[in-house]
Amino acid sequence: MKRFLFLLVLAAASRAGGDEIPAELKALIDPDTAEVLRRLDGISPYEVPDLKLRQDTNYANTAADVEPFGKVKPYKEHFLLQMEYTGPGRAAPEPPMDLKSVKIGFIGPLMSTVSVATGGRSHEEALGIKMLQGARLAIEEANARGGYLRRKIPFELLVTNDNGLWGSSGNEIVKMAYKDNVWAILGTIDSANSHIAIRVALKAELVMMNTGDTDPTFIETNIPWVMRAIGDDRQQSYLLMDYLVRKMNYKRIGIIRASNRYGRFGVREVKDSARRLGFPIVIEMAYRVGAGDYSLQLERMSAAKLDAVIHWGDAEDSAVILNQMRRMGMNQPYFASDRTVSPEFEKTAGAAAEGVMCGYPWNPDRRDARLEAFRAAFRKRFGSEAETYASHGYDGMNLLIWAVQVAGLNRARIRDILAYRSKPWPGVTGDIPFSAALDDLGEVFLARYEKGRWKYYSREELDIPRGYIPKRDRVSRGVVSAALPQ
Amino acid sequence: MLRITALVAMAAGLAAAEAPRKLPYVYTKWKHFTVAEGLPNDHIFAVKADGSRVWVGTENGLALIDSRTGKVRSWTEKDGLPWRVVTGIDIDPKTGDVWLALFGGGLARFSGGRFDHWHQLNSGLVNDVVYGVAVENDNVWAATTAGASRYNLRTGEWTIFTEKNAPMEEIWNYGVHYGDGKVHLAVWGSGVLEYDVATGRWKDYLDPDGEMEIDLYRDDGIIHVITTAAHYVEKTLWVSSYFGVCRYDGRNWRGFFNQDSGLPSDFNNNLKARSANEAWFATDKGVGAVVDVATNTWVAYTRDPKGKSGKAVVTRDKEVLETVEMETGIPHNYIIALDIQGSDVWVGTSKGLGWGVGEGYYPGLKERPPVVARERGDRP
Repeated sequence: MKRFLFLLVLAAASRAGGDEIPAELKALIDPDTAEVLRRLDGISPYEVPDLKLRQDTNYANTAADVEPFGKVKPYKEHFLLQMEYTGPGRAAPEPPMDLKSVKIGFIGPLMSTVSVATGGRSHEEALGIKMLQGARLAIEEANARGGYLRRKIPFELLVTNDNGLWGSSGNEIVKMAYKDNVWAILGTIDSANSHIAIRVALKAELVMMNTGDTDPTFIETNIPWVMRAIGDDRQQSYLLMDYLVRKMNYKRIGIIRASNRYGRFGVREVKDSARRLGFPIVIEMAYRVGAGDYSLQLERMSAAKLDAVIHWGDAEDSAVILNQMRRMGMNQPYFASDRTVSPEFEKTAGAAAEGVMCGYPWNPDRRDARLEAFRAAFRKRFGSEAETYASHGYDGMNLLIWAVQVAGLNRARIRDILAYRSKPWPGVTGDIPFSAALDDLGEVFLARYEKGRWKYYSREELDIPRGYIPKRDRVSRGVVSAALPQ
Repeated sequence: MLRITALVAMAAGLAAAEAPRKLPYVYTKWKHFTVAEGLPNDHIFAVKADGSRVWVGTENGLALIDSRTGKVRSWTEKDGLPWRVVTGIDIDPKTGDVWLALFGGGLARFSGGRFDHWHQLNSGLVNDVVYGVAVENDNVWAATTAGASRYNLRTGEWTIFTEKNAPMEEIWNYGVHYGDGKVHLAVWGSGVLEYDVATGRWKDYLDPDGEMEIDLYRDDGIIHVITTAAHYVEKTLWVSSYFGVCRYDGRNWRGFFNQDSGLPSDFNNNLKARSANEAWFATDKGVGAVVDVATNTWVAYTRDPKGKSGKAVVTRDKEVLETVEMETGIPHNYIIALDIQGSDVWVGTSKGLGWGVGEGYYPGLKERPPVVARERGDRP
């Protein structure tokens, strides 16, 4: 019976869109998605589809003992119930049949410039170009499979640079939304640009998929048009701090970080977790990106007699800082954010890289046929290896392509297909399950540099303890601290 | 369960109908303006009343409604409007000039039938993505996505406010309002900033708990640093956000959420304050108007998704006092902009503009019998 209904839905969807649904497209629509489509079809501009919203019982798998103000029952807890889109966009008509291509936007740091938002000089182009390559490969593969299947026209990647001055990312998104008429956008990396971009996406009612910005606050904005397909700094910090404090019992931890938004917001969960676990960060020093000489900061950190040092910033700075530490006789274990996991760091740090550990949003060592196929295709297409930004860009773009194929050419329906997806997306970076806040709640890892290469470890492999994660939201849990199971 | 709850509430309303109670004014007469009536686009981003004239900013053009005659005029890019998306409007009370915030197009002045255009390449406007505009004496303020700009009309001087010269933790300005000698900026990620025109000093209002995922106490300050609008009226600051709304009378803060008031949703795009006691909020699930702060009395206006009819629900805390059903409700439940025109209200939605005619309007509460709700077959 269920299968019969499923087939009816597919037939109805075919008629509703006015386009014949080819067999290749039918293969992309699982029964749950077919049900979403059924409830979206024929909806008036004034109606909101009757679709079940995700309801999480805990925000971001946060352990009770690192929740903010854990001894107080908060008045309100946000992000547990999925945001709805209640506007009229679902009833917007599909574009004319003479459309030549299906445009999807890309925004990222591609060209070198001086960006105030990113700390005074551009430094993320290498990451942005890799992200673009991953996204481009996904588009090219989709076109090789027939492009936009309902109309047999190609997907077209509209590429923009977000590294300009004066908040140019906002201007670029406006242009993509109103002049280029893209159907969805993938980007960006720098969180200042990301926040600018998502505010525009909200007004213009356009999906913004992020695969490169790990700032937790990116998703903590309650915008129903924004989603992320990469484990964020909150998830990585939880794992890192569980390792440092719960497993290794480090008590005197110091932070050295970039004096930009990536550094400032990246360490927030590290600092909060350390304090809530009873061992506040002893010293936090910031530096200008690319300063080259970090002796001022390191001298003070050395005097603080630290058990461990955490760095949050770019790979080159990370390597230079590590080398300067070692030269100064600072032999503490060195931990860092995921950007340190790069050839640039390995080359500059040399032998000092041995034993360095970093949070990491996925496990590149995982055995997966899709991952291997992607890597081979990437190597063939671009003549280089697919690193993390390329891999996540590929996953994020494939998610968008899938949603456009299934939903048709309607921005609100594209958003719905993603927002109401019932199963994790099987990406080359691993499973991507969305939380109620439409953030990636997939597993994150620790990377350790061992004998000339990075090795990736799960929580279980390193036997890292974790705090109790309550199964009830904080408001209904009661007044008493949630440190104990209830 | 929802239906049962509603029927109980209606029954309560019926029972209460026998005795007058202290109740607010309810707008029951709504008129709609859409493309069919001459608007250039149905997606309304801004509305500003100026006497009997009502300016409307849409996703594809500017419109002017004469509320005495109902006549509509419109301007699009082909008529000289510098950019199609108009996200904010303010009127210079001295000159009558109309200032327009253009979403991705900078700032424009409409005067004497001519559009003048300022953008980040020909002026001191810090960014072309302008969310809001406010005229303060001889200055025009623009809330942009990369800071605020102030343009002095007498000297032609531009001043840019960012993290370098104002307490902006983030520079993503969202709304700007001038009233009672103070300019208020609603800044995404930086709460509300207050600029005292007389002293040139800044003051910031931030979420005291400093956390994104919770609001620790309801009445301890701004409920979240991501704010969407701030209005200062009768020495009272009203603030909207995507997490609820709040009010500050100079001494005490008060937060309002969907869970404890008649606010239809915590997702608030905008607000318009009528007084220290009355403010209207643009939510994604209808209009919420707090009409008596002391008693937490609200009126929530929604449209029936199945037809043109609508409903106004009067609540005190979470108790439904009356449900007024109307043949014509607000145009759509996704609300983006609001303005007050004397006794009337204007509601900009993502599918048309609504004009609530306030015949017999009175502020606050008044003894009157509750309106008896008709029992209907559909869900309230």
